[in-house]
Amino acid sequence: MAIITISRGSYSKGREVAEKVAQRMGYQVVSRDVLLEASEKFHIPEVKLVRAIHDAPSILERFTHGKYCYLAFIRAALSERAVKDDLVYHGLAGHLLLKGVPHVLKVRIIADLEARVAAEMKRENLTQNQACSLLIKDDAERRKWTQSLYGVDPWDASLYDLVIHINQLTVDDAVDFIVQAAGRECFKTTVEAQQKMQDLALACRVKASLAEDDCVDIAVTSEFGNVLVYTKQDARKLHRMEDKLKLLTKKVPEINHLEVRSGQAFPPEAC
Amino acid sequence: MPTLTAEMILVMIMIGVAVFLFIVEWVRVDVVAILMMVTLPLLHLVTPKEAFSGLSSNAVVSIIAVIIIGAGLDKTGVVNRLVGPILKVAGKSQSRIVIFISLTVAGISSFMQNIGAAALFLPAVQRISKNLKIPIGKLLMPIGFSAILGGTVTLVGSSPLILLNDLMVPFKLKPFGLFDVTPVGLALVAAGIACFVFFGRFILPGGGKSDESSPAAEERQEENQIIDELGRPWELTTPEDFTHYREPVTVDALRRRYLINVVGMVEPPDFKVLGPAPDQEIRSGVDLVVYGQEKDVRRMASEEGMELKEDLELFKGELADHASGTVEAVVAPRSNLAGKTLNQVDLAERFQITPLAVYRQGVVYRAELGDLPLRVGDAILLHGTWKRLELLHAEGSLLFTTPLDADQLRPEKAMFAGIWLAVALIMVIVFKIQLSVCLMTGALGMILTRVLSIDEAYQAVDWRTVFLLGGLIPLGIATEKTGTAAWIAHTVLNAIGTVEPIVLLAVIGLLATVFTLVISNVGATVLLVPLVVNMALAAHTDPRLAALVVGLATSNSFILPTHQVNALYMGPGRYRSVDFMKAGTVVSIIFLVVMIAMLYLFY
Repeated sequence: MAIITISRGSYSKGREVAEKVAQRMGYQVVSRDVLLEASEKFHIPEVKLVRAIHDAPSILERFTHGKYCYLAFIRAALSERAVKDDLVYHGLAGHLLLKGVPHVLKVRIIADLEARVAAEMKRENLTQNQACSLLIKDDAERRKWTQSLYGVDPWDASLYDLVIHINQLTVDDAVDFIVQAAGRECFKTTVEAQQKMQDLALACRVKASLAEDDCVDIAVTSEFGNVLVYTKQDARKLHRMEDKLKLLTKKVPEINHLEVRSGQAFPPEAC
Repeated sequence: MPTLTAEMILVMIMIGVAVFLFIVEWVRVDVVAILMMVTLPLLHLVTPKEAFSGLSSNAVVSIIAVIIIGAGLDKTGVVNRLVGPILKVAGKSQSRIVIFISLTVAGISSFMQNIGAAALFLPAVQRISKNLKIPIGKLLMPIGFSAILGGTVTLVGSSPLILLNDLMVPFKLKPFGLFDVTPVGLALVAAGIACFVFFGRFILPGGGKSDESSPAAEERQEENQIIDELGRPWELTTPEDFTHYREPVTVDALRRRYLINVVGMVEPPDFKVLGPAPDQEIRSGVDLVVYGQEKDVRRMASEEGMELKEDLELFKGELADHASGTVEAVVAPRSNLAGKTLNQVDLAERFQITPLAVYRQGVVYRAELGDLPLRVGDAILLHGTWKRLELLHAEGSLLFTTPLDADQLRPEKAMFAGIWLAVALIMVIVFKIQLSVCLMTGALGMILTRVLSIDEAYQAVDWRTVFLLGGLIPLGIATEKTGTAAWIAHTVLNAIGTVEPIVLLAVIGLLATVFTLVISNVGATVLLVPLVVNMALAAHTDPRLAALVVGLATSNSFILPTHQVNALYMGPGRYRSVDFMKAGTVVSIIFLVVMIAMLYLFY
């Protein structure tokens, strides 16, 4: 069994593909519900997150540590879902949020601009020019988003296992490909892969809990429940965070051991 | 009846000053002793020659020699071999170790000089303390006191008793037999040990609040904390199906998963690997030795289905303290290790040394050590054989903060060490040559046969002990020479007048106890025996009993670190004068009560 992330632009039929894949494989579909979950769990108004994801990333900066907290919360929520396995996620940057997990099939669905314009015109009742400029603006916005949050270009094909262009190929073709790919040996949820997923979820959870308490600018890794919290703060000024971590260690049974590393470069795999 | 002179008053003032300084500890006790050594001749209370005669006295030279002999025995591993059986019999409980060693020391010291017995056991006690992580302060004092008490078991156990018969000759009293004092002596030893077993935790340093703040105690606590962090070595066996249906498990995988360090393993059939490389594969049915916290080790054992052994079995020898150990090493400034990770340095591959933990700014790092870029000032806890650690030390990139103490063990010289000890003991027991000469012969023999170098011998000598004893001897000389002691004795005994025999004996015992704290026990005996015999005759009490009280009570020297044994143990045991006063007062009172009671019952 696997985790499938589908990255898509607007009106690229990504949602349709995702839903069909999930249906065919009997998986759960997740997209914006993750946001709802995050907002419930961490007591932030959903509006804040929704607006954040729709408007330019600059809006996040209006809140203190907005970008940082947004990422921490959404990642914690998504990884918690992903631990349960058998999941299709569609939306922006799912593949980046679940970085480092081996059994994630990363798919991008793209479509011709003409087809997308036509779809938008139909749904929103717009002229061709209006729809076209809106789509181009939307694409640019999403690109900016991904670049600002994750530092990569969503149009870079090397980020994905599969890039499917819906034009000649139909939605059903895409679903076939994805289902076939998801069945490959390399996307099987092995014990090791599941362990990695659990560790990622744990690290994200620790990070989000700390973000909730305004402990920001940290990175967290976990390996077999041995959690390392990296911070750039001086080791001597960490009392508040340490108190919080002590509480967390008691509360979360998955944490086997917890260490704080200060003044050390954040490892690339840290969340 | 002598009259009180100005000199006597001056001597009493000096004694008062010395005792006062012992108590307040404005300067260390050995400095107080040196102060006496210098002030007394300046005040013309002793001649300059007498002032320094203490340094060449039989006692001091004996101590120097016996410390060297002890160091030789320790360096050759003889002490380790001695400690093994002791621990086997005594187990790991502190009380049982104290009882067992105390009885042994008391037994030995009943036939030889107390200080000899005490000094010979010092290295052994230090080893036991280190091996079993018992604070040395909890062990040394009971053992030292037992050595002193053991001197009362036979008539040749301590100098005052040896002298006793000679001192009674002028009075034509019947001399004592060798074992006449044995019942009293045994009762005293038993009472002393019982006192420490039952009240040890109240009277010994290390448990009270006042001690917590002392640097020594802090150091002890810190050591314990480190040990808690690291856990201890455990031996496990992997199950037969360990490698079935899974990726190979490596040493590094176990360390990442359970935060334990594999320091040794047995490859079938019986090839032992110490400090295995991180990528070393662990197969089915092999024995492992790991360092780790109990909860981590137990978790690993249950999750991996390993069998956790009660104690070290196969690796007992390799992980014994004389073969391998754990040291703390600091990344030196300008060291080529700074900036590298432990994976890059690869101590396991190059030196077969296992890094256990890293300390940085008061924080202990145990997880993912391999990827941690080292910084100047990081302390790394390393485990390996002393030989391998020595090689790493020689490389110079790490500064070792814990000395590689077992590095110069010379087991091949053990026979020579044993022979020279035997020579010294035979000279003492059979040929009755003066103790200092015998022991120095043994020490010299060890140096000539290269059991230890002359420099090591010099380093082994504890100058604190030497000057503490050497400086107090002139104080004793002054007290006797000016007639102060005699005056005090006369005054006290006259003051009490004619009383019940038991009261007289108690007063004599008390007087002897006070005297032996300040002047030497021999001096006190020589001075007091003629006096008390006369007193006893006048009071119609048994004069032999009075003399015996003096002979025994001059061993009742526990309140101040002025007795040779106490002086010797004060440094290594990290005791302060207050510690002796606290425990010593209790033991001294018990001593007097038991002695009088036993004498009253048996004679």
